[in-house]
Amino acid sequence: MTTVRDGTTLQSSVRRWLHHRRGLLIATGLMVLFPFVVSLVVDGQGISAVFANDEGNARFLQGLAIEIFILALYALSYDLILGVTGLLSFGHAMFFAVGAYTFGIMLKTAELAWPTALLVVLAVAILQALLFGVVLPRVKGIAFALITLGIASMFWIVIQSSDLSDYAGAEIGLQGIPAPARFLDSTNERFVFYLITLAILVMVYMLYTRIADSPLGKVANAIRDNEDRALMLGFNTFWFKLVVLVIASITAALAGTIHTIHQPIVTPNVASLGYTVTALLVILIGGVGTISGAIVGAAVFRLLQYYLDRWFGGSSDLLIGAAYVLLVLYLPYGIVGTWRVKRLQIADGRKRLAALFRS
Amino acid sequence: MTTATSSPARRRSDWFKENRNRFTTLAILVFLLLAAMSGVERDDWFSTIMQGLSVGAITFLVASGLSLIFGLMDVLNLAHGELFMLGAYVGWTVYTRFDTVVDILVPLLILSAPFTLLPLWRRLAAAIGSTPLGRRWAGLGLLAAGATTTFVSVTRFPLVIWDPGNFAMSPSNFSVQIDLGTLAPLPPDTFGWPAVIAILATLLGGSLLALGFNVLRSQIDERTVVTRKHLLGFGVLIVTAIVLLAVKEPLNEWVFGLSTTWRFFLAMVVSVAVGSAAGALIEVALIRPLYDRPIYQLMMTLGVGFILIELVREVWGRPEFTMSRPAAFNGTGPGCPGEGLGGFFSGCSTLEAFGSRLRVYNEGFVILAGIVVLIGVTLLLKRTRIGMIIRAGVQDPEMVEALGINVRRVFTMVFALGSGLAAFGGVLAAPSIGLGTGMGAVFLLSAIVALAIGGLTSFPGAAAGAVLVGLLQQIIIRYGQSGINLPFLDEPFKPSPTLVPAAAILLMIVVLLVLPAGLFGRSER
Repeated sequence: MTTVRDGTTLQSSVRRWLHHRRGLLIATGLMVLFPFVVSLVVDGQGISAVFANDEGNARFLQGLAIEIFILALYALSYDLILGVTGLLSFGHAMFFAVGAYTFGIMLKTAELAWPTALLVVLAVAILQALLFGVVLPRVKGIAFALITLGIASMFWIVIQSSDLSDYAGAEIGLQGIPAPARFLDSTNERFVFYLITLAILVMVYMLYTRIADSPLGKVANAIRDNEDRALMLGFNTFWFKLVVLVIASITAALAGTIHTIHQPIVTPNVASLGYTVTALLVILIGGVGTISGAIVGAAVFRLLQYYLDRWFGGSSDLLIGAAYVLLVLYLPYGIVGTWRVKRLQIADGRKRLAALFRS
Repeated sequence: MTTATSSPARRRSDWFKENRNRFTTLAILVFLLLAAMSGVERDDWFSTIMQGLSVGAITFLVASGLSLIFGLMDVLNLAHGELFMLGAYVGWTVYTRFDTVVDILVPLLILSAPFTLLPLWRRLAAAIGSTPLGRRWAGLGLLAAGATTTFVSVTRFPLVIWDPGNFAMSPSNFSVQIDLGTLAPLPPDTFGWPAVIAILATLLGGSLLALGFNVLRSQIDERTVVTRKHLLGFGVLIVTAIVLLAVKEPLNEWVFGLSTTWRFFLAMVVSVAVGSAAGALIEVALIRPLYDRPIYQLMMTLGVGFILIELVREVWGRPEFTMSRPAAFNGTGPGCPGEGLGGFFSGCSTLEAFGSRLRVYNEGFVILAGIVVLIGVTLLLKRTRIGMIIRAGVQDPEMVEALGINVRRVFTMVFALGSGLAAFGGVLAAPSIGLGTGMGAVFLLSAIVALAIGGLTSFPGAAAGAVLVGLLQQIIIRYGQSGINLPFLDEPFKPSPTLVPAAAILLMIVVLLVLPAGLFGRSER
């Protein structure tokens, strides 16, 4: 038996890790079983229908779930910037759209194989984070928000101009992108793609919680709370912010890449200010700065959007706007944030209730 | 040289050094503008500059309010573009369909009447619920009941409404009709309930809403009493509503008989009033609870903007439509186009000056209105007591409050003023650029760019930035038509019109990188 640290064995540390991550593991397991359950219970089809990619609720809900995973990845990266580090960026949609467009153009126009295209996306993602990073030491607060808004708006304007219509498809968007590989095909191999996306989300989530707990995350928190003090304590805050931007940019570009594979068409909407606001709304619902809130928020937001659209049609946007205003006013910590604040109260209440029954 | 600092030469060089970045930026700007101008045909210079000033004037109207609000209360109001849009739509409605305004005004006046009896609701509210949680639920319940009653009763009023889906009743058709002079009041509708019951129900709805809001307020104040002043306000609102209801048809006939010029002025007045009221309402109800959470304020204004866009889509429909120019600026026929500056008063739609053909409305009236607002607001800021308070508040709100001035009330006033200016810009812009739900976002972006260039909190900076942005955009458009010779490109680059806003944004990024505080702003320490 290998000894990892004094008095701890590998076995016990694995056990501790399993205990620590039990919520995540259970949720992942449930999400893996979810298509089978829907196929059996709702559709009345067999388990094999999931593998055979048959039409039905199971297939449709997998598609919806993939959209939620994409949105969650994107919101996670925004939470790292805004919630953990406190950088108010209004250009986050560009991080996502650059990934989506680069991957699409690399596959369609440059006809690269998907691993190469993915490397190009990685390089471009790092480059754009550096571009945002150049302005970091010069401007703070609102000015940073404005510059990022400006850069992203320029990207949005350029991407939908007719000058680039051969590459980016102007206002209609990028379409006719070939499927990168047999297993990266949302139409024909949806279950496999669903599992891949889920795996990516789980891994990125674990990475992000690790980052938030690491010294890097702690310094990022310090920058959010009081940058001058962090500087005085001897941290070169610029490098920390730059690293955070690079990580977030790569994650958002990854989300964009998955979006390109999943959707038949990439519209310029994903580069607009509206899409940044979507990320803001998602982490607002989930809870700003709570990492897991991004995933909860993405699920709530996408499902809400889907069902409001179905029930109210055209006026659903109005309801979403109203929900947004009410959230800002009455639930400022979001779902996960409020849960964390009230958890002790709830546990206390449960104990008292149990004591009442016992006596 | 005894003391280095007192020497004039030394002082001058210090001053130069301190402002080095500012000079660099100005030099870059002048160079950019000159470089762009060199590509424009000499004959087009004057009209290009005037068009730039025209766009700049409208951008200034949006940017000025944004700058005042941001300077005084640190709120970057992202709903400002939508207030601009709201001004345009309200202006169009007053200009084209005055009858619908009267229709909606009657229930609105009745609904707002109970709010004048504030002390009564405060006293009642103090008696409701003892625990904070109980008060909150009671307040929310009252609000829900009030909203339901209001909705049901207001829709029972005779509301003549257009229908974007039906061409004969669509806004774009009305715009065509008013141009042809065939527009007539719509046939009157009838009450869904007996008039007295509808009015009483609306009063009840308003009372429930007023009570609900006061229950939700955290302060409890039992000492206030209803005075004669409150009762007078209540009475005036109710009587106005009933009188309006009675004289509705002759009033409509009279307004529809007026010249479109007068109706345009009426439209300006009403939309400024509506814009200011909307701004004040947003500030009091939504922004004020969030003063200690700045980022949430920003998000709140974003949400408000989305709601306003959706409301406009619900009421006026998604398709874009135009607004005709008022008669005074729309003349054709013999003697047109007018010659020189005298042509401004000739009633022609265009005039010839300095070898260019200008549209009197776009390049004359709009610029004039922009200059009037600039002078007016500058005088307000420099010469009046309230202006002094605003300027002091921009520097240090806490200090102003410590001197015994109710800063919160000034905040609301400035928010209303800024929103009114934006709405004024909207109604001015509508005849030249038409109406669409995207117009707010376009001008908000231009205004933010102008603000960032000029310095976020500086009012003259907002004006300078807006003019710069307008000029740059128009020059690039004109230049782009003939093609721009860029290095590394064989053919001249002809940007499509959609690319034009990117030039202004590029300018903003460059200026902010050289001068983070903008051209006229103070650097924040």
